[in-house]
Amino acid sequence: MISIRNLVKRYDDQLPLQQLNLRAEKGIIFGRLGPNGAGKTTLISILNGLTNFQEGEIEILGLPLRKNLKAIRRRSTFIPQSLALYDHLSVIENLRFFAGIQSISGETLRKNIDYAISVNRLQPLTEKKASTLSGGQKRRLNIAIGLLNNPDILYFDEPTVGIDPESRGEILETIRSFKHDNKTVIYTSHYMEEIEKICDEAAILNAGEIVRQGSLTSLLQNNNDHSAVIECIHPNREQLSKIADGHDGTELFNSNKLMVLRPNSKKMAALLADLEAKDIQLKQIRYDSINLESLFISLTSRENPDA
Amino acid sequence: MLKAMLIKEFILIMRDKHALAALFIMPSIFILIMSMALKDTFGNDHALLNYTIIDRNQTVQSEQVNTLLRVNTLFQKHDLVIKDQTELQKALNGDVHFVISIPSDFTENLGKKQLDTALLHIDVATDVKPEMVSLVKSALAGIIRQQRLQKIQNDLKIFLPDIAQKLDGFSFEAQDVLDIHYNGMKAEQVPSSTQQSVPSWIVFGMFFIIIPMSTIFINERTQNTLLRMHAMNISIPALFTGKIVPYMVINQIQVWLMIGVGIFIVPLLGAEALTLGNSIAGLVMVSTGLSLAAIGTSILIAVSVNTVEQATTIGGISNILFGAIGGIMVPKFFMPQVMQTLTNISPMSWGLEGFLDIFLRGLGAQAVIKESLALAGFGVGLLMIAWLIFSYRTKRGI
Repeated sequence: MISIRNLVKRYDDQLPLQQLNLRAEKGIIFGRLGPNGAGKTTLISILNGLTNFQEGEIEILGLPLRKNLKAIRRRSTFIPQSLALYDHLSVIENLRFFAGIQSISGETLRKNIDYAISVNRLQPLTEKKASTLSGGQKRRLNIAIGLLNNPDILYFDEPTVGIDPESRGEILETIRSFKHDNKTVIYTSHYMEEIEKICDEAAILNAGEIVRQGSLTSLLQNNNDHSAVIECIHPNREQLSKIADGHDGTELFNSNKLMVLRPNSKKMAALLADLEAKDIQLKQIRYDSINLESLFISLTSRENPDA
Repeated sequence: MLKAMLIKEFILIMRDKHALAALFIMPSIFILIMSMALKDTFGNDHALLNYTIIDRNQTVQSEQVNTLLRVNTLFQKHDLVIKDQTELQKALNGDVHFVISIPSDFTENLGKKQLDTALLHIDVATDVKPEMVSLVKSALAGIIRQQRLQKIQNDLKIFLPDIAQKLDGFSFEAQDVLDIHYNGMKAEQVPSSTQQSVPSWIVFGMFFIIIPMSTIFINERTQNTLLRMHAMNISIPALFTGKIVPYMVINQIQVWLMIGVGIFIVPLLGAEALTLGNSIAGLVMVSTGLSLAAIGTSILIAVSVNTVEQATTIGGISNILFGAIGGIMVPKFFMPQVMQTLTNISPMSWGLEGFLDIFLRGLGAQAVIKESLALAGFGVGLLMIAWLIFSYRTKRGI
């Protein structure tokens, strides 16, 4: 369905993607994780033909991307993180406009609009102006627009940013339903629990490379170890970073948390002693088996302290 | 595809009250205000300057100065009694622009070959411009010439009555000795303030599309709607066409609305109605060229800046600059020569010349081909530059 081999993208002297390989089969939900600047946006732009690349091969739906861009675009859709719609148009006017520019007409238009509306539960809102919709409803309209060409592949870029938990749950449910329609979803999110909840496979990107890729089960099965997360109260970030550097298997994340891989009593005692010596107060210590979040942090935080 | 884009663009404009006000109401109000404000400046039947006369001569000749000056519609006499210097200053600090003092020896001096003192003395208020003083000077000089000739004629009657008789009935009235014809207009027809000011405001109003057009475009870009459309196989030329066509239609609506205001509403407020000229085709040609120039400017600004605030600031400033340089706000003939040459760099000036050819000079489509092509070329040139910038920014994701 989507096959990327040795992909290289250069911007002047920067290398946002280097020798990237990725494969996503038909009918799966494929999650993409990565800290800011990891190359997620660049990759999605390349897959949608919005930016070019220097080396490598990309095949989508069995067609080389470069030569079949228009045909591939007709069978795929890009649902951006921002609400790429018109506030002054009603829901139905938005849908008609985006269908119209894709030259969708007649029976197909009616059928596809009905599908987009019903999948996103927009039936009671069709005549409402987009500006009057709630955040979650706007997100659903944003997705509905992406369904107008009845695509085989859907690229989602953080579709649940800034909405309430109930709306988020509804959107995730909608995305999961695409799997039953045999559509392939490429899903980008910063929320690990979303990836864990809906994705069959995932890839973790860091500094333009895929550092781990596979099915969710295999990614987590290979990590039977445990981890501990120490959450501090208003710590000095630099101080905390220095402490993390001084202890093996300890990473700083979210500015106030330390994650300890494979913690044991000796390791934890030394770390806590250091924290006490620097007068850093603790909020909580949480022990857990390694989940996607801790895996992500352990793979990306050295290079990117903001992860 | 294009149909959907046109419908969308029209709906967006129709639902944007501020854009509608900027596009249609503001230029119409401009026309009404400026036609009324300039009515007195361009009109022939309204006085520009007020004056009064101190007549110390009190003769037929001094009364004649009074009578001849009253005929001149540029001047309005205020009947004041001025007895001393304080009253004179008070008058000049008030509504009176100039005071003519006729000395007691005026009649006596009229026939003198060499004058020891001036025949008339004029006091002028300090806020009167030199050009206006020249108008007063030439009017009074004409009156004095006429009176001195009469004096000579009267003297001749005594010694050479035959020659004096030949001078009888010589006319000095401007309408008798001068036939003034305004280019492209019928005999006796005089261009009105409406006719002279409406073309300027049509040109200015058409460039108002810069603000709503660039605002919509930037919103589409920042919300990634353009990116989404690009991912839906919409090419840049198709995207630009979807913008150009609706705004050309909007510009045409603006032009005919403003012409409608000139024809039907301005006369209700007491000014002369606008007349269309002889060439509808010429009007459409110039307005289409202007439309392309305004749209090219709008899209270039929209693709070059990052925020709506930048677009409205740069759009507003360029509109005013084009207008100021292009002779929209200050008529070209009031400008010094250097500035008049400089007006040629403003597309508004080309559009204005084209409209003046049609509205004022009564010329046809042929006369405005050059201006229309220059405007269209300017617009297309800017669109090309905008295309390059936009495709660069799209590829770089900036």
